[in-house]
Amino acid sequence: MSPRRWWALALALVVLGGVLQGLTWRARSAPASGDRALTDAETTDVVLGQVSDGLTRVFTYTPANTAGTQQAAAEVLDGEALGQYQSLFGQVRQQAPGQGLTLTTRVSRAGVVRLSGDTAQVLVFLDQTIGRKDQPRPSYAAAQLSVTARLEHGQWRIVQIHSR
Amino acid sequence: MTDVHTTPDHEVSAGQPKPPAGFLTKLGRTLRSGRVVVAGALVFAGWSAVSYWQTRHDATLSFATARDQVRRAAREEIAALNTIDAQHPDAGLRSWLDASTGRLHDDFQRSNAQNREKVQQSGTRVEGTVTDLAVTDLDDRAGNAGVIATVALKMTSATGGPAGTDRKRFTATLARTSGGWKLKTLTAVPVGAA
Repeated sequence: MSPRRWWALALALVVLGGVLQGLTWRARSAPASGDRALTDAETTDVVLGQVSDGLTRVFTYTPANTAGTQQAAAEVLDGEALGQYQSLFGQVRQQAPGQGLTLTTRVSRAGVVRLSGDTAQVLVFLDQTIGRKDQPRPSYAAAQLSVTARLEHGQWRIVQIHSR
Repeated sequence: MTDVHTTPDHEVSAGQPKPPAGFLTKLGRTLRSGRVVVAGALVFAGWSAVSYWQTRHDATLSFATARDQVRRAAREEIAALNTIDAQHPDAGLRSWLDASTGRLHDDFQRSNAQNREKVQQSGTRVEGTVTDLAVTDLDDRAGNAGVIATVALKMTSATGGPAGTDRKRFTATLARTSGGWKLKTLTAVPVGAA
């Protein structure tokens, strides 16, 4: 074989290798690979557990235990979510003692939308039971929240809440 | 004419100097180095092929890709099943069929005529948008998936009646078909559902 042919063969191989490298890079850098929702089952479960537990605590309220809810909010919430929570819950807290208001929140369903790095997006379906002193029967409400959680010192804290 | 063209060519090749003494060894060296380059290129191509093959067979990556496919399909299909226009019932009902599989698909097919009548009678146009969606479980091998989703509905009346909005929450299951992931079930989640 003439040297020119050897060089042509080498060039063809380099091009082939380059194409394969490009395809590999593209597959590795696809958005799918940066998102660990479900692929990292353990972290997915931890996020779901901590976010569900946190929401249950901050949205559960009895007139007798205002301090407990306040304490929970400080532990569970951070950043923008703290302000959002105050505006969501401020009214309830004001009226609660007078009206004998109780709020019980239960997570009906939850799923991790996205999990990358230290940030997780979680969609949560909540069932809420609202009781009043003057009403014999409680009322029920559904709430859907899109929550952003961030890992801080080994704990997933809620930093953003959007009502859906 | 032909003479004019061929003569100079002939002269050039005839007038080319004889190869120098070291030409053959040089040629040999080039040949060898060419071979070395080919060997190097072969190693590069081989390594690239292996890493590409590994990527293609990376279980985590293919699982993540399937999850994203489920997410995309579920988003479109849940929106489709929450959208219908009384002015164009057939287009809407067709997209219901396209978005579904299994029993749900059969149900839509069976009740197609009734559904068309109902939609036309209602005279409204409903447009559903998925506002958030999470894949809650995925069996990549079996081709089954579950999602939860929130939907915003926008209703407009053809008769110029009042427009309305609504919010709904759903669980859905999907199955992988030859045409991609399709909805197998779509269930509204009421308050108090386990």
